[in-house]
Amino acid sequence: MPHNLNKIFKSIADPTRREIFHLLVLASSALSITQISQHFEISRQGITKHIRMLRDAGLIDMTEKGREHFCLANVKPLKAIQDWVQLYERFWDNKLKSLGDHLDQKNK
Amino acid sequence: MKDVIKKEYQYSHKINSVWNAISDPDEISAWFIKADFKPEVGYKYTFTHEQTTINGEVIEANPVHKLVYTWIVVGTGVETTVSWQLQENEQGTLLTLEHSGISNYPTEDMAAIMFTNFSGGWDACITNLDKFLKESTHAS
Repeated sequence: MPHNLNKIFKSIADPTRREIFHLLVLASSALSITQISQHFEISRQGITKHIRMLRDAGLIDMTEKGREHFCLANVKPLKAIQDWVQLYERFWDNKLKSLGDHLDQKNK
Repeated sequence: MKDVIKKEYQYSHKINSVWNAISDPDEISAWFIKADFKPEVGYKYTFTHEQTTINGEVIEANPVHKLVYTWIVVGTGVETTVSWQLQENEQGTLLTLEHSGISNYPTEDMAAIMFTNFSGGWDACITNLDKFLKESTHAS
């Protein structure tokens, strides 16, 4: 599995990060870390840490304006997961064909 | 949203042969994936393909008819379930494979976002997982 896919999975495995991401998707505009923090009861430092993980996974784009950091959701990396799930269909088809070949070979 | 991948395959072989192929570690390694496996309830198995590891636990083993285990791709933290059912018939053996819990990738609310543009997408497979895994191994 590609490294970035691992990062995506890890970053959305946490409920708080999912909420942050969801909040940004719903906002569909950039929010400052201060604005995001207002929706949560954990420290700003904690929020910043979560945001950094989301950013590393490519799920958040960040811009700086003065002393504030603004975050914007980026849903594109989720496509990678979507494709990956889809691939299971083909994966099983291939494997079950291999099973047929294996059986033919072994039980000639 | 569809949560189960279901495949039915007919093989012209005896049910015992098919059972061995899906439950014996040497045979699994020959056609499927490198395996440390025992068809015993509670056995914690490991499958490895290059740098990808899959592990899980056998939750049902009913020779020669049914084998069910959890399927966790290490690093994803997502548990899905793979079930193999064998049925003897005139032509040989009918295999029904079900891979469920796919919507656990990654979670419900995320799935809702993910699958917005995804109706009917199951049939539009792009490439196979093998190729994908190989490419990603080279890429990383």
